[in-house]
Amino acid sequence: MKKFLSVVRREYIQRVRTKMFIVSTVLLPAVMSLFVVVPALILSIETPPMRVAVVDQTGRMYSQIRQSLSNEQAEPDAQNANAGPQRMPRRSFSKFVMEEVSAGSQSLDQIRASLDQRLQSRELDGYVILPPDFLSQGKAEFVNRNPGDLFSTRVLQSAINRAAREQRLVDAKVDTQTRQELFKPVELQSVKIGTGGQEPESGGGSFALVFGIGFVMYLAILMYGQIVLGAVIEEKETRIAEILFSSVKPFALMMGKLVGVSLVALTQLAIWGLAFSVFALYGVGILASQGTRANIPSIPFSHYIYFGLFFLLGYFIYATIYALVGSMVTTAQEGGQLAMPIILILVVSFYLFWPVSRSPDSPFSFWVSMIPFTAPVAMLVRIVTQTPPFWQIALSLLIGFSSVLLIMWVAARIYRVGMLMYGKRASIPEAIRWARQA
Amino acid sequence: MAASETTVKLERVSKSFGEFTAVRELSLDVRAGRVFGLLGPNGAGKTTTIRMIVNITAPDSGTILLFGRHIDADLQDRIGYLPEERGLYRRMRVADQLRFFAEIKNMRGKKVDAKIDEWLARVKLSEWKNKRSMELSKGMQQKIQFITAVIHDPDVLILDEPFSGLDPVNVELLKEIVLDLKRAGKTIIFSTHQMEVAEKICDDICLLNRSQKVFEGSLRDIKRSFGRNAVAVRCEGGDGVLDDPALVSKVVRHADEAQALLAAGADAQTLLKRLIDSGAVIGKFEMMEPSLNDIFITKVTEPA
Repeated sequence: MKKFLSVVRREYIQRVRTKMFIVSTVLLPAVMSLFVVVPALILSIETPPMRVAVVDQTGRMYSQIRQSLSNEQAEPDAQNANAGPQRMPRRSFSKFVMEEVSAGSQSLDQIRASLDQRLQSRELDGYVILPPDFLSQGKAEFVNRNPGDLFSTRVLQSAINRAAREQRLVDAKVDTQTRQELFKPVELQSVKIGTGGQEPESGGGSFALVFGIGFVMYLAILMYGQIVLGAVIEEKETRIAEILFSSVKPFALMMGKLVGVSLVALTQLAIWGLAFSVFALYGVGILASQGTRANIPSIPFSHYIYFGLFFLLGYFIYATIYALVGSMVTTAQEGGQLAMPIILILVVSFYLFWPVSRSPDSPFSFWVSMIPFTAPVAMLVRIVTQTPPFWQIALSLLIGFSSVLLIMWVAARIYRVGMLMYGKRASIPEAIRWARQA
Repeated sequence: MAASETTVKLERVSKSFGEFTAVRELSLDVRAGRVFGLLGPNGAGKTTTIRMIVNITAPDSGTILLFGRHIDADLQDRIGYLPEERGLYRRMRVADQLRFFAEIKNMRGKKVDAKIDEWLARVKLSEWKNKRSMELSKGMQQKIQFITAVIHDPDVLILDEPFSGLDPVNVELLKEIVLDLKRAGKTIIFSTHQMEVAEKICDDICLLNRSQKVFEGSLRDIKRSFGRNAVAVRCEGGDGVLDDPALVSKVVRHADEAQALLAAGADAQTLLKRLIDSGAVIGKFEMMEPSLNDIFITKVTEPA
């Protein structure tokens, strides 16, 4: 037991001390927060308002358009009202300064010419010509200095669209009260079950969270599995294994390695989890106070625990197989080749994220969250989206950890022989024979 | 230590891997305070035998006793083992590495640090204590590996090709250490196929060939049993005489002298007479003990 602890300690200290560990620990949260903060910052950059002149030949539209645009800038547009109050402030993108050009005695061509000139001299960014039959034909012209700015064009179009609708209703003698009633926006609020309808869930944020958790899980299992593979191959390649085997039982050595690396992983995940919580608690507030709204949903504490448990499950399943593979090969390259199928299974388990997150309660989701190889990602996604009954979580963990013990038992038998076989890569039938030998 | 006790005893030990028998019915007695040479060509079963002694693999049949007991974890800690295939953690500092190897032999605490300093000083690598092993030359790494086998002060030391790849100065250094350990009453099992090294260091030898023991005993007895049938000759002319199969069974020519192994029934006197008769000018004519190398080659090439 003491020797086992020595192996664990060596594995842990040697790895936590490396630059690689420190860099990856710092880098991932940095990259993650970049993904959250940078878009928010970019979107909050103030652009100068767009100066648009309106040549209103109908004589009735200009004030409606003005009204419509100022409504638009004040509150979310009706079409997307259901996205909730936590949306990115994308309005700041398209501010408009409007001016009306009265036709007066000038002909349209003369007006055009003078407006074009103002465009040239950059006094104006664009102008809209509403022909006299605009309200019936619904066709207008937008001359734009920057036709690539589709976003502003679209905002302007929807504003004019709404203005036209309003004006048509006015023309049809529908009174203001009725108009407001008719256009009252509906609200569709996405609410997570079990919260009694009290807690509004923001769809986008929650999806990002589920995806993020699934991805971190996949990444951590892959990364630490590879570390175990490398560690085992190192001991085989450098021939340390034989000295070790003369002092420590192969099983203790393999377990020491797996446990040691798992502690490294947990350390790193704990740092990430902490960084995330601190960011969620303070960072969002700070950003919000600066006018940038970053969207981070709160995570119940139990989810952290489940994440830890299912990470350990996935880690021990895959890392044990990695250890087995490491003992069969002679070089890191061979290890990479033989490990390909494992990575493939892992990738598949990650892609299951999509169907499971879409219908976390389906029989399919149930079964993949019971199969040990896919359970870590699948069950976690289910827990975060639509927490299944506790017995399912417990059963998944039970099946999973029983499989871990079985895999360890097989792996230890192959490991013991494989580690001392130098020269050539062991074939799979050979490995099976080793596992069968007492 | 005249009548020293048997520390490692093998009785009719066999081990096979599938069809291949690596060790067949091997019995050995290794005594404390002596250097026991386990000799044999590559593939003779030396490493398998050693792995069974250190409890890495179990024999299929037969018994192995250490200090009169079957091997267990406690006894394993009393063995120091330097395998032929050996290495160090590349990125680990020398001192950390040695401490780890001491720990997995159940040696802990302050005394480990003292031992590390003591041994590093002894192999003249003190200033490398906090370097990573990848920064060390191959020879230095070899010496660190040697320390990993002795750091926990084992009673039985098993060295498999300990000097391979070392320069003569370091071979001499390690050889001195091995002889010191022997004087301190440790049991040393020394496996090699380099007969010149074995000849200088071993008290007893066991020659293995094709999974079986060819012979076992003290080096002196073995040499005596072979008799003095080799002659070192330095002469000008008379080459034809040395090539006469009736007189000489084998001749090995070095730069300025030849070593002749007398044929069965021939004697040195006759050889000398023939050389003089042939008009050779003799600079040296000396009766020699057969080298271990000669014995080895004779035994190994003998039809079974």
